[in-house]
Amino acid sequence: MTDILLSIRNLDVEYITPGDPVCAVKNVSFDIARGEIFGLVGESGSGKSTVVQAILRTLPPPAIITGGEILLNGKDILSMSDREVKKFRWQEISIVMQSAMNALNPVIPIRKQISDVLYTHKGYSREKAHQRIKELFDLVDIRYDRMDSYPHELSGGMRQRIVLAIALALMPPLIIMDEPTTALDVIVEREILFKVLELRKELGFTILFITHDLNLLLEFTDRVGVMLKGELVESDEAIRINSGGQHPYTKKLIGALPSAAGPRRKDLLPRPEQFKIGEKPLIEIHNLNKKFHLSGFIRPKMLHAVKDVSFNIYPGEIVSLVGESGSGKSTIARLIARLIPPTSGTIILDGIDIFKSEPRSASLNYRRKVQMVFQDPFGSLNSVHTVFHHLARPIIRHRLIPQAELYKYIIDMLETVGLSPGSLFADKFPHEMSGGERQRVAIARALSLQPELIVADEPTSMLDVSIRMDILQILADLRVEKNVAVLFITHDLASARYLADRIIVLKNGSQVEHGNSEELIQSPQHTYTKQLIAAASPGWLKKNLLKTNENRDSK
Amino acid sequence: MSTRLNDSILIRWLRGILTNKKALAGSFLVLSFIFIAFVGPFFTYDPNAFLDTPLSPPTFTHWFGTTGQGQDVLAQTISGARQTLLIGFCTGFFVVVIGALIGGISGYYGGRVDDVLSMVINVFLVMPGLPLMVILASWLPPGPLTLMGVLVLTGWAWNARVIRSQMMALRGRDFVSAAIVSGERNIRIIVIEIMPRMLSLLASSFIGASIYAIGAQVGLEFLGLGDVSTVTWGTNLYWASNDLALLTGSWWTFVPTGLSIAFVSFGLTMINFGIDEVTNPRLISERNWRKLLPKGKMNDGITPVVINHD
Amino acid sequence: MSKSINYLLRRLGFYAIAAWAALTLNFFIPRMMPGDPAAIIFARFRGKLKPEAMNALRETFGLTDEPLLGQYFTYLKNLLTGDLGISIAYFPQPVTDIISTALLWTIFLAGISLIISFSIGTLLGTLAAWKRGSKLDSILPPALALFGAFPYFWLAMVALFIFGFGLGWFPLRHAYGEHVTPGLNFPFIIDAIYHAILPASTMILVSLGGWMLSMRNTMITTLGADYITFAHAKGLPSRMIMLKFAARNAILPNFTGFGMAIGFVLSGALLTEIIFSYPGQGYLLLEAVRAQDFPLMQGLFMTITLAVLGANWLVDIAILFLDPRTRR
Repeated sequence: MTDILLSIRNLDVEYITPGDPVCAVKNVSFDIARGEIFGLVGESGSGKSTVVQAILRTLPPPAIITGGEILLNGKDILSMSDREVKKFRWQEISIVMQSAMNALNPVIPIRKQISDVLYTHKGYSREKAHQRIKELFDLVDIRYDRMDSYPHELSGGMRQRIVLAIALALMPPLIIMDEPTTALDVIVEREILFKVLELRKELGFTILFITHDLNLLLEFTDRVGVMLKGELVESDEAIRINSGGQHPYTKKLIGALPSAAGPRRKDLLPRPEQFKIGEKPLIEIHNLNKKFHLSGFIRPKMLHAVKDVSFNIYPGEIVSLVGESGSGKSTIARLIARLIPPTSGTIILDGIDIFKSEPRSASLNYRRKVQMVFQDPFGSLNSVHTVFHHLARPIIRHRLIPQAELYKYIIDMLETVGLSPGSLFADKFPHEMSGGERQRVAIARALSLQPELIVADEPTSMLDVSIRMDILQILADLRVEKNVAVLFITHDLASARYLADRIIVLKNGSQVEHGNSEELIQSPQHTYTKQLIAAASPGWLKKNLLKTNENRDSK
Repeated sequence: MSTRLNDSILIRWLRGILTNKKALAGSFLVLSFIFIAFVGPFFTYDPNAFLDTPLSPPTFTHWFGTTGQGQDVLAQTISGARQTLLIGFCTGFFVVVIGALIGGISGYYGGRVDDVLSMVINVFLVMPGLPLMVILASWLPPGPLTLMGVLVLTGWAWNARVIRSQMMALRGRDFVSAAIVSGERNIRIIVIEIMPRMLSLLASSFIGASIYAIGAQVGLEFLGLGDVSTVTWGTNLYWASNDLALLTGSWWTFVPTGLSIAFVSFGLTMINFGIDEVTNPRLISERNWRKLLPKGKMNDGITPVVINHD
Repeated sequence: MSKSINYLLRRLGFYAIAAWAALTLNFFIPRMMPGDPAAIIFARFRGKLKPEAMNALRETFGLTDEPLLGQYFTYLKNLLTGDLGISIAYFPQPVTDIISTALLWTIFLAGISLIISFSIGTLLGTLAAWKRGSKLDSILPPALALFGAFPYFWLAMVALFIFGFGLGWFPLRHAYGEHVTPGLNFPFIIDAIYHAILPASTMILVSLGGWMLSMRNTMITTLGADYITFAHAKGLPSRMIMLKFAARNAILPNFTGFGMAIGFVLSGALLTEIIFSYPGQGYLLLEAVRAQDFPLMQGLFMTITLAVLGANWLVDIAILFLDPRTRR
């Protein structure tokens, strides 16, 4: 008989609006056994975060819980008095939130943000609190001298570890982790996860882990729950879900993402059969450099974001720039799209040295040939204008299509990116469409000028996992149908492998390796590339855990 | 095609404002005064005429009594509305236009342009307004143009800074970058892409500036720096004070004007509250949410459990 | 640490530029007036002043036969050495003397009113935001907004009328009565406070609404932040969250407003001072304007400007202490 720690039964949560209430969580039930790791997965809007915040009853207005029970040690959290709620919080259940920067009070030093729970719940004396803080710092490998720092003085990874330390402060039996590593780079993410699992082995707490990345969960959880649109569609042991799962949505989630390891799957973004890439380079980048002025007048502090980057792109080719945050990849995208001026370097487009012929601002010709798709599908469309306006303006500006044929041209463009019927979408406003639809509009907008190069800056990272491949497929099809080259910027080595012909790996502004995608993946040369590949391959976590276990056993 | 989108933005926004209780109440108040300012003078005594015993309290013939010169207070209050409101709203308009121009250009172009314009804005911001107004108004010939000029000069900077902030925030958004990458000209981007997103800010800036203009104007005129021969709310108070209203206990000479000023300003403030709510529909959601809480219970950071609500 | 000093020096530099701009404006205003300022002075005081006094006046004012640039530098030199000239209306008292007394009274009345108004307003704003939707929150904002809508000199008139003339509870004018001697003695201090109550109350009442609404707004924004939710999740007591987490962060933007209000208060208590014939800087400024006392006017403008800029700089320092993010 398993020892159930937390039992959620028929939970309903609604959000009050100016109009009718919106149902965020519908009839969700699952149990968490003591000592296990339970993963809750779902895309944005699935309700997964709402469920866990309901457990602590920290959902901000206008949320209300309209039904169900949450049993903790036999007591129903939903019937507790306010005093009881405040008592069990942090002592029985603590939480690690998604963005550590946002979770911490910016004007109070770290030390006090740990000691406040110690004083409130346990009434520790100053010495005892100080001692405990040191213990916690040891657990998460942070030096004592950071105790009096402020949140903004720490790196992202450190902040996340501090938040972890705070969660452990009272040694609660259950720790909820709400997308704790989503905002972090892949390598840092793995380190933190590893640390968490180590600590769990040592201290024995139960984990409820929320994420949108099912593949990640399958690496280390015992059981998994899948949420879709507020409902729990499947809940089972991780092993069973790994081998297939029952619900069609689960199956979709598993197959959704490519992997950077193993042989190339044939069904995902297949390479075009007879497609020839041009011989003479479309665009040549030579020794591109960008320095940002950070502060100071007399002795200015500069950030050297892009260091001597050089590469070519051939007509119809898909090249991918892969790197983590801070690698300079987005800066390069903006430099090529001429949104910011370079510190030094040359760009040659169709044989013409661009910075010599149009140094101050990009010509209309350049703008037509080089287009861009941005990361945030909501931010890149103007909420006050229709889809038609977004596509029509550039065309009118470049006088590309005569007025009489404009409407039909735009409808065609929309249908090319899969928005059918085009006439229906032409009149829509951004907020009336989903993230995926908006990104398609963004691609259509870029396409409408018949460019030669499209710079796609992380076009899928803010989209739901289940549709990412669809968007990438559009890009893959486009290069064949319209013979347009694509510069694909991403942090995800796996999707770069499938979409791009060639990959360039960036670290801290410099190129560390480049080459044909498959060759790079199968036989990487540089250490950093190897690290990236390893972190993006399934089983990485298990392998490392096994290693530590062996070390521990052999002691 | 383009008519649909223009209609939609403006109409959506207007619809929001027109159904908002606070904005409606405020508008009603303000529009009543504007109406009275237009139409009223046709129905009252001549405010400049010396009609009756000076400083007599309200009676049936003179609803608000008479001033120290025997003029009808009601007539003066109603006539005074005209110039005060006219100058108030015109000043508000110019303040917002100048603020939008300078703040907008500074925020959009950034770099050197922003460094210079920001400095100008900050200098004007930090200069003490009232002394400057007093000194300027005392040097220049009295009259509505002087008043407007002085008010605009001392008041434009605050709005400019606020507009500059929002312009900078919007400028960094991807939809602006996308417009730039597609070759759109800067002017078009500012006017067609960004300005529609600033409707609420511009509207509430206009109202805020008008409130300021009315108040400051009345203040200056009270000091005698306006044209004391004209009938405005400010000069009404000036004369009331000159004719020793306090000493003689003739409260009716200054109370109606003061109340009128307060009601108009209050009405404008209400409209601004309403605009806030429209721009941030979350405020309305939260109000509806609060109605569901059991009586007396406050939001204490604990999600309420409300079963079977309607 | 050095970055903070850097920041403060930069701010000081900015204020220096602003001061220079204001003073230059001050220099040019009388010269921009139609007609010759010298002639005006002559016309005004013909027969009243001895020729030597007239010359002294012209020199102070910089209205010599020097070219414009020369006059400008003389003017600046005089300012920097603290020679603000001799007042015309209060001849032969030097401007600096007259201003320093008035400055003290303004700081006393307006300064204390501002501090009280800011403190109470901010506190009320905190409570109103924390207890959203309660009776406090529904009544207070509109009520205080209504009070803030009245021109504050008008409220001063009403208050004076009711409590001064009518009920006779408070004195009608001036900073202190005739029966006490100015100085650091107890009866004087009590009398000064007694005289300040009515004018201060009107000023506080009118400005209370602004502070309350502003704090309430920033509080509401702050309360939506993740770290507040996190603080709740930690099970911390409500009062601690309201004060240490929410208010502590929400007050920061209001502090800048406080700095600007100092400027307003050091110059704008003018209207209240008029009503109560309170001998502060504002009252003095109006007297100077009416008497066309140019040296006094210029001197006042300068002191007000410098006081405002100085106050702003002090606020910058305060923010440096309150917000650790500005230190890096």
